[in-house]
Amino acid sequence: MSNANVQLMGHLMRRAGFGAGLSELEARASIGYDPTVDELISTDSQKGIDNAMLYRYHPDQQGGLGLSGAASYWLFRMVNTDGPLQEKTALFWHSVFATGYPKVTQGKILMNQLEMFRKFGMGSFRDLLVALSRDPAMIMWLDNEDNHLGAINENYGRELLELFAMGVGNYTEKDVKETARAFTGWTVANTEYMTMRAERDSLWPYGRLAYWFEYRPEDHDASEKEFLGHVGSFNGEDIIDIICRQPATARFIARHLYHFFVTDEPPVPQWPYEKPIDSQAIEELMEAYFENDYNIGEMLRVLFKSRFFKSENTWYRKIKGPAELVAGVLRLTGECRVPGLETNANTGSMGFMGQTLINPPSVEGWHQGIEWIDTGTAIERINYASEHLGNASNTGVKDIISNISTASGTTNDPNLLIQHCLDELGAIKISDESHSALVNFVKNGEIDVDAEKGIGELVEMVAATPDFQRE
Amino acid sequence: MTVNPSTLGLQYSFTLGVAAMEGRGFYYPIDIGFGENKRLYVLGRSHEGDTRGIQVCMMDLDSTFYGTFGSVGETEGQFIWPTSILVDDNGLIYISDEYLNRISVFDAAGQFIRKWGLPGSRSGELDGPSGMAFDSNQDILIADHRNNRIQKFTKEGGYLYSFGSQGNGFGELELPWGITVGPSGDIYVANWGNNRVERFSHDGYFKALYGEHGHKEGQFHRPSSVAVDENGYIYVADWGNERVQLLDPTGNFVASSRGEATLSPWAHDFLESNIEERDARAISNLEPDLAFLEGDRNEESYHTEKLFWSPVSVKLDHKGSLYVTDRNRHRIQVFQRFLGST
Repeated sequence: MSNANVQLMGHLMRRAGFGAGLSELEARASIGYDPTVDELISTDSQKGIDNAMLYRYHPDQQGGLGLSGAASYWLFRMVNTDGPLQEKTALFWHSVFATGYPKVTQGKILMNQLEMFRKFGMGSFRDLLVALSRDPAMIMWLDNEDNHLGAINENYGRELLELFAMGVGNYTEKDVKETARAFTGWTVANTEYMTMRAERDSLWPYGRLAYWFEYRPEDHDASEKEFLGHVGSFNGEDIIDIICRQPATARFIARHLYHFFVTDEPPVPQWPYEKPIDSQAIEELMEAYFENDYNIGEMLRVLFKSRFFKSENTWYRKIKGPAELVAGVLRLTGECRVPGLETNANTGSMGFMGQTLINPPSVEGWHQGIEWIDTGTAIERINYASEHLGNASNTGVKDIISNISTASGTTNDPNLLIQHCLDELGAIKISDESHSALVNFVKNGEIDVDAEKGIGELVEMVAATPDFQRE
Repeated sequence: MTVNPSTLGLQYSFTLGVAAMEGRGFYYPIDIGFGENKRLYVLGRSHEGDTRGIQVCMMDLDSTFYGTFGSVGETEGQFIWPTSILVDDNGLIYISDEYLNRISVFDAAGQFIRKWGLPGSRSGELDGPSGMAFDSNQDILIADHRNNRIQKFTKEGGYLYSFGSQGNGFGELELPWGITVGPSGDIYVANWGNNRVERFSHDGYFKALYGEHGHKEGQFHRPSSVAVDENGYIYVADWGNERVQLLDPTGNFVASSRGEATLSPWAHDFLESNIEERDARAISNLEPDLAFLEGDRNEESYHTEKLFWSPVSVKLDHKGSLYVTDRNRHRIQVFQRFLGST
């Protein structure tokens, strides 16, 4: 049976990544918990992905005409990266700064936004907000190209305050307008042509053309503004500086991090009316925010090393999002390790579970937690996990079965067999109810655990438990 | 003819094609073949999210469109990952499929005739047939890329011989892609994974290698295709560097191009039918200052329409014009050679 350190490592890797098999968990546990957290946060030694290998076989993962190539590229990265926290953090920001394909109408510009999240997502929140405000996909998504001197469009300014940085109740309608004025002149070059191409979904004559950021001083409202009690001729970066100094911002980001990495909270619209599950945890994260110049990586370091994260009270308190579930299963099964048709198919499966990457339902992103589950998605999720982990032709599954067989020896003790299964699937735990059902399954002789085929069926059954849908 | 290197180079001539998911146009084209009567066959690779563009577009140099053939699938005449195209002296068309591990043969009108090739790693079997070239006997050399070797077959698929093995030593291959035969009968291979061009004798003995990994003149980043003219000059699709390079017969750098595309006749047709886009385009800056991209050539090509973006294939026609298949821009850029003689 895996020891406590390995189980804790399993918890860390599910939350800070997309899960890991037993051998990786044991290797990481031997290095230690804190050094593993430090390694995950530091991207210096991570090799990344061989983009050329993907571009050779999958033209649209480079050319980015549509949605599927971009989404498949990202899933491949989630499965194969040696920097799982970087991808997980990109997924986090994609959920917070939700930007969707239907209005932007090109995959490549959204792939570039995700690359921006990889670059800035664990750095200073100020730098991230500046990069976000200059991001061409975000500008097109929230209409800032229509935000002009003397004729403001509030869309970006409002969402920056409401959904991206502070939350409802921490600013006034006047602050929204002043923010919009501060971001006048922040647009994309060739505005008329690019907005026309976006609206028409035009890829003619020669494929997608990049949108790129352009600052137009002649279209910027440089007059005096009053924002959150501060007065000055603020430009966009000044507004971001003021935003980042607000306790409300620290609290909002802390709660987002807790919601995504620790325990499912209520959906964001309820936050003004419902207290955090763990107010002390939020305070500790806010402190980390201010003590480290708004650095997200340092907030994550505090989070992952905290008693509230390590506490078993928070284990399995999150429903896996479809991306987390699919990437996690594929990391175990050994699928999608090389270019091929299967990555696109698996990206499609994620869509049936309610999450199509780079296509969130709205600027609010996906509501997480129990809202991932309905009768349709539950069946999709359970079938997906059990079919892939029940397919003994997958190399990873073969290894899992072989390892269980070796560890079990000649025993036919159901409890021991089940425990080896749980260990191999990431040192996971299941409820007593699920455990009893599995024991009965073995005891009743419904599978022949003396044969590898039977062990494979047991793995498939574990993958089909409701517990496997949690992390 | 004696070539004067000081006057040798590449001169942009014109552009063919337009983006189109099906019918007239190209969707991620990956190679071009030359038929009788100036007939061109442009092979569309498309992508998994929209497979309608898996087709061969038939046209000529005047941009007259003659229809398409081929579609996605595994039955006869269909493709999954079509990769290269050849036309023999009888007008028959050969198309490799690096997913289905087979070569499909069509007549000049696109009617399916036969297919050959079996998956595997034994002699005569294929694991990822990518580039193809005819030798002087009209036998077919194939870059059997996941087997890291070159194999030779008759046009009917009869196995003749193979050479090459995986590695980065002299004559060793790492996921080779493009292949061609020079005027002396030597075989040139775009050794994609090893970032160089490898030269072999007609019977497969290593003779020379050109280039090394890098971004400077004469260096390569994942070269995908190679062509050699009648004087032995070498044209390389330096795919990862988003450029085409011209080397002299001993491998010295002569010239390079990042692409200079202009509007093709089909592109003109589109804009004349969509005048709002035409007018908005006319007042746009399509050649931005690229300094903010910090030398990222992939991004530079994404931001600048005239540049190559994934130049996958270089081929010379019988007049010596160079056709660069510009995959992510869904077009062919055609160049003429400067070959000043003394």
